[in-house]
Amino acid sequence: MALNTIEFECKSAAPAVAIGKPLHFGVVGSGDLEVLMEPKALKGAVAIKVVTPVSGFDALWQRVLATFVENSKLGDVSIEINDNNATPAVVMLRLRQALSEAAA
Amino acid sequence: MSNWSALQNRSFLESNARDRALGLVDEGSFTEFVGPFDRRTSPHLETLGEAVEFDDGVVTGIGKIGKTPVFVISQEGRFIGGSVGEVGGAKMVGTIKAAIAFAKRIAKDFPNAEEDEKPIIAISFETGGVRLHEANAGLLAHAEVMDQVQRARGHVPVVSLIGSKVGCFGGMGFVAAATDVVVMSEFGRLGLTGPEVIEQEMGKEEFDSADRGLVYRTTGGRHKYIMGDCNFLVDPEIAAFRAQLAELAKLPRAKFAEFRRIGTSELVEKQLKGVALAAKMQPKDARDVWVHVGNSDPVELGSMPLADFRKVVKRLAL
Repeated sequence: MALNTIEFECKSAAPAVAIGKPLHFGVVGSGDLEVLMEPKALKGAVAIKVVTPVSGFDALWQRVLATFVENSKLGDVSIEINDNNATPAVVMLRLRQALSEAAA
Repeated sequence: MSNWSALQNRSFLESNARDRALGLVDEGSFTEFVGPFDRRTSPHLETLGEAVEFDDGVVTGIGKIGKTPVFVISQEGRFIGGSVGEVGGAKMVGTIKAAIAFAKRIAKDFPNAEEDEKPIIAISFETGGVRLHEANAGLLAHAEVMDQVQRARGHVPVVSLIGSKVGCFGGMGFVAAATDVVVMSEFGRLGLTGPEVIEQEMGKEEFDSADRGLVYRTTGGRHKYIMGDCNFLVDPEIAAFRAQLAELAKLPRAKFAEFRRIGTSELVEKQLKGVALAAKMQPKDARDVWVHVGNSDPVELGSMPLADFRKVVKRLAL
């Protein structure tokens, strides 16, 4: 019954992108999520914490987030996600949108 | 964070709670209270294994419109239907309390303050009322918000802004009705029991919630404006709601008592006249009432452009 919390770290092969200030993006609608990103010294790694009602998809979360971190070359960031049954495609889309808001 | 200028022409209906809060006040002036970085999620939802949100579906803060300090509360309909639970309710209560304390301080320290230098409270409703997951805590949150709205009377005006997808229903429909001013767009909906619940309880013959026209002419902004449940009917952009707030902020604070629908014995008498009229008329449709108050073509009234509607509409005078 309790919410499922998944915590792990990812690291891009060549971390090159950092965020200047904390950002918040998204709404925890049905099939959607919100994300917090905060700068954090992690020697280029990205710390991730996902809170979701869904269990049994921990490996998939890790693959989606690893792909996002590798493609974006993001490093030294803490990411927290509150999820409500978002599909992998929506997760990837929201993470990219959050990052583009940070760049804007 | 969204671009403020782009937000102004954005549809109020389709904007999320934070964008509405940001866009209602002057550019860059919004400071959030207990925002997502404070991570005040609902302990009840967590226990139930339900998804949580860092702001618990309510955005609160303060900003300015011109010289007016505006305390803002904005509800997020996409998070569990905008339902109000313990944390979100407490944020609403805290914001209204802060506004009352601030208004009293201004009155004491700056007795010669201009009207537009005194604070107002703006609540952007998007909710079906109590978050049933939180049971008594959610109900108590409603009672506390209602209590603070009453305490605000005579100190700081409370303005309801209704123009979001979920509308304003359930316990929060009561709260909105108890505020000083109700501002709606024609897409805003206000009521106590929502269309789906009426259909579920009373049957499709009584109320067909799939009939969008019926739903809007019973709960929508145009009808509420005719009935006097809504004081101002504005265009559907964020800028229009903001402009109405700016106009209200300039008014002498004593003037706000005139906008109220409930709260004095005279107003109760007036409401009872409405009940008597309904008992006498036995209207089968909102259009019956529109005709009764002098609108000859109710079908046209419901579909004509809003600017024309505002020019020709006749409203219920009790």
